[in-house]
Amino acid sequence: MAVLQWIQDLPISAAIAESDSLWWGYAWWLFVHAVGMGLTAGIGFVVCLRLLGVGRQIPLSSLRVLFPLFWVGFYLNLVSGTLLFMTDATGIARVWELYAKLACLALALIAMSRLRRFVDSTENDLTIPPAIQKTAVACLVLWLAVITSGRLIAYAVEARGAVT
Amino acid sequence: MLTPSDLVHIHLLLNHFPTIGMIVGFGLFVLGLLKKSEDLKRGAMAVLFAIALISLPTYMSGYSAQKSLRGVRTVSQDVIGLHQRSALFALIFTEATGVVAWYGLWSSRRRRSLGPRITAAAVLLSVLSIALMSGAANVGSEIHHPEIMSDPDAAVSTEGILAPRWLSSEFITRYQYSHPWAWKTLETIHFMGLCLLFGVVLVANLRLLGWMRNAPLAGFHRLLPWGVWGFVANSVTGMLFFIGQAFQYIENPAFHLKMLCILLAGADVLYLTWHEEVWEMEAGATASALVRMLAASQIVLWIGVIYFGRMLPYIGNAF
Repeated sequence: MAVLQWIQDLPISAAIAESDSLWWGYAWWLFVHAVGMGLTAGIGFVVCLRLLGVGRQIPLSSLRVLFPLFWVGFYLNLVSGTLLFMTDATGIARVWELYAKLACLALALIAMSRLRRFVDSTENDLTIPPAIQKTAVACLVLWLAVITSGRLIAYAVEARGAVT
Repeated sequence: MLTPSDLVHIHLLLNHFPTIGMIVGFGLFVLGLLKKSEDLKRGAMAVLFAIALISLPTYMSGYSAQKSLRGVRTVSQDVIGLHQRSALFALIFTEATGVVAWYGLWSSRRRRSLGPRITAAAVLLSVLSIALMSGAANVGSEIHHPEIMSDPDAAVSTEGILAPRWLSSEFITRYQYSHPWAWKTLETIHFMGLCLLFGVVLVANLRLLGWMRNAPLAGFHRLLPWGVWGFVANSVTGMLFFIGQAFQYIENPAFHLKMLCILLAGADVLYLTWHEEVWEMEAGATASALVRMLAASQIVLWIGVIYFGRMLPYIGNAF
């Protein structure tokens, strides 16, 4: 597709792809992507575990401050993920794993928003409705799926002979 | 940065710690049992935990020592191979002891005494570790001091018990090459473990830094083992990368810095699990400046672990 080729040929894409710099080069954005993953999936795991009954003495209201940090992780990954995609748009757009990841991510975000609405509204720390617990289980599985499909993108692109 | 010969020296320096440290830790623990002293038992757990941490660079620097002896004709490569396998077998038990030791320290925060199951596991695992580690050390000493080797075949004859074949680097490397999915699966698990570990580390230390102030610290108690499971998953998968492809890590400066960050973060974890003040923090309480500094350093150190892990192919030579 011409659009993908155009994205890949943008000066910024080429600059990141070809930069050997540990600051602002390709390696740097991979690192940012890993930290963003730790923030989003990591905070996701902790929130889900608490809603499933791990650490009952932690008031649910104290989880509220974690959500802004979750979104910091999300935006870090939106930026770093987009830049990493741009460096090899034609290669990455060809692998189905990318779309699987985006779909799992969208579902995980929907689940997280649902959990957040519950955490924001509840005053009762002890009883967590079964529907919320089910959402928390689904959310955990979805984050694992996002991580797995993310890894698979790298392997699929590599296997097809494009630059990783 | 560390030169190959520094790494050999590190191995020759560190290799005394696992055996001796394990014996000291075990001795303290037995003394604690005899004197019925919970403090002594907890001290023993701290020693065992620290030894489990130190054993990791001890094992890994062995690959540098092995490399330095390549082509040296007075040294038997078979004995080195045997030393490596028996050391890995001993390492598995030592790390298991370390996990039990952490678990003991952690659970003593809730109950005032160590339960019978943790006590039994700690005794059994440290005895096995001492036996296997001294066996490995004994074979190791025959590499360095061939003059004391009584019978070269004697060492090799006990290898069935001391050093199973499937623990050899060659076996694991071959497995990784013949099963391309193996490496990918390990890496995926490594990333999942990263998220679990980092999430727990972040949230618990943010509480110490004054976030989530309406939660008592005791509330995070049950969460911590999940972070440790993340760490266990990552040490197992990480060691399998290392054992399979040791030569892309041993002289890689990013790897040295990653290990340094892990050891410092481990010391941090030990101190914070140990420290009374931390666990007495009620809802609304603020940690002391020292604890806040340690909490901040721990978050920074784990970000450092992620950074140097990601930089393995860019600063160093890993794939």
